[in-house]
Amino acid sequence: MNCEVCQLKELEVEHFEIREVLLCILHTIVFHRALGLVRPKDVDLELFEITYVQCGDVELEEKIDEKIDHFISWVEKHPNKKSQICLSFYEVKSKQPSWFTNKTERLYWEQWYVNLNVTQHPKHHSSKSHHTKVIVDPGESATEERSSRRAMVEASLREVLFQIIKFVNEKKDHVPPISEGVIYFPYEITIPSSSDSAFGMDMIKRMLHNGHPTMLS
Amino acid sequence: MEMDRESGKLEQIVSQFRSKILHVILDSRVPSLHRQQQESLSLSRVRKTDKWFNLVLGDRPPALENLNFSLRNLLDPMVIDIILIRHGSCSSSVDNLYAPSAAAAGPSTETVIERWVVQYDCPRVFATPSGADAAVFYKKIYKKCILLLRSLYSQMRLLPAYRICRQLSLLSQTYNFDLVYKVSSFSHPFSREEEDGMKEYSFTPVEALPGCLCVSVTYRATLSDFNLEPLVSLPPKIITDYVGSPTTDPMRSFPSSKTGAHATSFPSTGLRPPSSAPFQRPHSWSSGFHRGFPPTKTQSLAGSPPAYCTSRKPYDITSPPTDLYGNRIQNHRVSTLQQATAYDEYKLSPPFSTSASPSTPTYLSGANPLLTRHCSETAPVTIPLTGRSTRYLSSNSSDPNRHSLPPLSPRSSKHDASSQESPSGIRSYRKIEGLRAGESPSGLSNLYSAPKVVRDSKDDSGRFSGLLSSSGSPRIGFSRSSSRLSFQDDIDDCEFSCPFDVDDVDVSDSSSRNTESKRASEFTAQSNLVGKKSQDAAVGILVHMLRTAPPLRQDSSCYSTHSLKTEYDGGAGVASGFFLPRKTADALEELNSYREMKDLLLSKSATQAVRKEGKK
Repeated sequence: MNCEVCQLKELEVEHFEIREVLLCILHTIVFHRALGLVRPKDVDLELFEITYVQCGDVELEEKIDEKIDHFISWVEKHPNKKSQICLSFYEVKSKQPSWFTNKTERLYWEQWYVNLNVTQHPKHHSSKSHHTKVIVDPGESATEERSSRRAMVEASLREVLFQIIKFVNEKKDHVPPISEGVIYFPYEITIPSSSDSAFGMDMIKRMLHNGHPTMLS
Repeated sequence: MEMDRESGKLEQIVSQFRSKILHVILDSRVPSLHRQQQESLSLSRVRKTDKWFNLVLGDRPPALENLNFSLRNLLDPMVIDIILIRHGSCSSSVDNLYAPSAAAAGPSTETVIERWVVQYDCPRVFATPSGADAAVFYKKIYKKCILLLRSLYSQMRLLPAYRICRQLSLLSQTYNFDLVYKVSSFSHPFSREEEDGMKEYSFTPVEALPGCLCVSVTYRATLSDFNLEPLVSLPPKIITDYVGSPTTDPMRSFPSSKTGAHATSFPSTGLRPPSSAPFQRPHSWSSGFHRGFPPTKTQSLAGSPPAYCTSRKPYDITSPPTDLYGNRIQNHRVSTLQQATAYDEYKLSPPFSTSASPSTPTYLSGANPLLTRHCSETAPVTIPLTGRSTRYLSSNSSDPNRHSLPPLSPRSSKHDASSQESPSGIRSYRKIEGLRAGESPSGLSNLYSAPKVVRDSKDDSGRFSGLLSSSGSPRIGFSRSSSRLSFQDDIDDCEFSCPFDVDDVDVSDSSSRNTESKRASEFTAQSNLVGKKSQDAAVGILVHMLRTAPPLRQDSSCYSTHSLKTEYDGGAGVASGFFLPRKTADALEELNSYREMKDLLLSKSATQAVRKEGKK
């Protein structure tokens, strides 16, 4: 099975916009891959006039929030850097145990790369609570500049969401069959580690697990 | 057979797919359905229809079933137009507040801002798979339908029309536009101008052999040039002098000079006027309803929220005003939902309380059948049947208990003149039992504490009845007497504890007037009967007695003549004899009190004279 990869358009965001942008993108992707019985939940962004859809699973929400918190912490330690978050969907296959591999292996059939360019040094520590609201950076004094920049980010985010929808529509054959009682496919969210080299090591580890070279498009 | 079964499966998938798409679109574009869906989504259980394509959408709108039926031919396209209706340009017009959806001030324009086309395209014929392949085949179709619906659901929220629907689904504001939809199996092509501002997006078709399911949308990329704005909502204003009652005729004015079937339409002569404020204030509904209930001026109704209409007759007046009887009349018609809402509001702040007078005692209907017809209309008034002095109806003069007058007697016509000729200020008093001149709280009050008991069995009744018959309505007659007695109320207030202390004799006297020959033997029975009668009768008797009572400083000869006439008329009976001793005793007491007062005044004057001489 081929692993379909989607590199989303890079977004230039500020520190306080990271959470909302990531929530929107990640939940939208998962919603399109949660093919079990879902009760969709509309969520309005606070910073942008965009409504995205969640699949309504509490465990999923918590895990995504946790990953976003880790990412924000990493961004605070590595300011003004381009970063990438990888959302992968895989199948679990049992395998003959061997010396280098485990009994089960993950077959990644789809990967989404969310590319962010955090432009401003974080001035405020972002709370790791799940219920933290977006912290508005009070550093910007020019209201017009802020509003125009905000509009640009919103438009870019909207483009990213359209990109997701288009990808979901165009690529359907690689999606595995739906299992009974399963709401969403097994997934994995990979954020940059403390160092770039570690991030690269993570990729190598994934390759060893998969047994397939990662296809980058 | 198997092919039929398989084709049935396919038809079912296609049919349900179309229904699901229609449901998603209508929920996202029809404001009322969107609001409904948001409210019910978290609460509704998973229905059978929700399980289709694993997307729980809640209750299906009823219109959807009809649409499904009308578009049951799966080969026909299903075209869903989302139409934006823009109303007139006068967004600040007051009329628009009440009819925002109507073209109140200008023609409305309709623009198709979205067109969804769902079509089962079947250009060629394929061989339908069978057996095990069929199951896998339909599972794939089903999975792809799920994916398409997911992306459709997300995209519905990204298109510009979604924001408009969200705005309209909020009830907090009204707008100069509206969203409607139209579902049909065909569509009129867009004009070139319309196409210029529109974009098209087609979802990847789902292969559903022998055809494929196609979903596409043509939408306006931006709606900013439509000038969509909320209507100016005038802030609610508080009516400071609100007068509202569901029973009052909204078209009625309340001049103070009007009498008759008015709440407190007493002549102003000497009468303690009821609160004239309610009658001078305009009715709040004369210019429409309002939501707030603190009393304000009716001129502020221009700021009424748009939910209320400007009907001037919100209620069907089925009975006289509320305050007339001290009861709020609950049954009235309301023609619109707004009026019903306003009715609830009126109940909150009635201008008239259930009792016109706060001191009005509870009305006891009594056992007198003759008075039953008055019972439903009278205010609560208690008249304890005790030998108390009479007490004027001070504030109670404005009470509706004037209805509770005893029935007419046969002698009513005869004594009309006498009742009319009663000298002004001549009143009869009833001494409070046990209240002596020396026991009065003040010396001055002694002057009024021992009034002559005018026990005019016949004349009282005649006069009393005349009181009733001389006026078309008991109310007016009552008001006449009350007008003369009003100032007396002020005097008696300090002395009398109960406004309706009525002597037993008076009450019984009124009932025994009809049979003079039976007076002696019947008095006891009558008194007992009367004791059980309605207190309203006693009130009437009291009033009459007060009317006919002589003034405090009147010529005693006149008083005694009048009273003796009534006493000895028809022979002295037990009733008359009952009064003689009391009258004499009262007279003596009064005389004594006069003497004491005289002495006191003389002594004071003497003291003052001595002082003056001393100063000199």
